[in-house]
Amino acid sequence: MKKLSFLTACLMFSAGVLAAAADQISVDKPYVRLLPPGAQTTGAFMVIRNSADKDVKLVKADNPASRVTELHTHLNEGGVMKMRPVAAIEIKAKGEALLQPGGLHIMLIDLKAPLKEGDIVPITLGFDDGSSKKVDAKVLKAAPEAGMSHHQH
Amino acid sequence: MSERILLAIAAALAAAVLGLALFWQPELPERPLPAPAALSGGDFTLLAANGPFSLHDLRGKVVLLYFGYTYCPDICPTSLAATAEGLKQLTPAEQAKVAMVFISVDPERDTPARLKEYAEFFHPAMLGVTGTPESLAEIARRYGVFYARQPVATAGGDYVVDHSADTYVVDAAGKLVGKIAHATPPDQVVLAIRKYLNQP
Ligand SMILES: [Cu+2]
Repeated sequence: MKKLSFLTACLMFSAGVLAAAADQISVDKPYVRLLPPGAQTTGAFMVIRNSADKDVKLVKADNPASRVTELHTHLNEGGVMKMRPVAAIEIKAKGEALLQPGGLHIMLIDLKAPLKEGDIVPITLGFDDGSSKKVDAKVLKAAPEAGMSHHQH
Repeated sequence: MSERILLAIAAALAAAVLGLALFWQPELPERPLPAPAALSGGDFTLLAANGPFSLHDLRGKVVLLYFGYTYCPDICPTSLAATAEGLKQLTPAEQAKVAMVFISVDPERDTPARLKEYAEFFHPAMLGVTGTPESLAEIARRYGVFYARQPVATAGGDYVVDHSADTYVVDAAGKLVGKIAHATPPDQVVLAIRKYLNQP
């Protein structure tokens, strides 16, 4: 009996783990943009996919390379580009969020040391249910693939 | 008393008419957008790392002008990288007839020395210049460039600068002739440059 309840507890626990938003998330082509020497801020870009049946919100990001990490977006108002912090980035159920130049991005503000091409920046993505996921983003001069289009899955 | 009632009725009628005018809009035929006021463009002198730079120094070349700032983490790098890539795709003969100038609208933080390093990161032939707030504002007005310093609630502190993200094209005679839209991919940038290069 004791065994059974232990087993049940295990099952419930693993179910709970499976339900965590982070486990339903996959990240494709994460990279950090290489900026000229002296640049103190840069952006990280990636495609975030959500295989779950419910929407997930990315609510924060963290990384060891910069003092501050924020979620940002750009608004193009009649040819004028405005960059603004956002509270969350939504990843729709069975959908994806595109973090790419000119749009949503993770901003690495106040870099502790200059980044070099090929460096790896571990970025921890935090979701609205408290779960998190770490991705390794490579520092690149240009996007890993022109257009960052998505292929057949 | 009756005067008051009349007034009230008149007011109600006026409100109704106004309401109709505001909310009842018959289908309008599609209207062309009003033509933007002609922008004069023209010459200017700013400061580069090696001294004053004037647009007329580049007379005879097609000049691409981009207004931005080096603290811009995303928009400027996106535009400049695409343009630089486009420049690299030109033939050497074409490259000799094209110049690219990055104008910082954030002179408080962007020194000419910093601008040189920044611009050359994207393309060795890209020039970085800036000037006084007054001269920048005056040039921006002539070119139809918008920029505004915005205190933004970002933990990054300080401020961001909202700015026009198009690349302005000046022909070999020094005349403002067009714009290349922000985020135009490199192969389209090449086509746009060639269009102005091959103009009679
Ligand atoms: Cu940003």
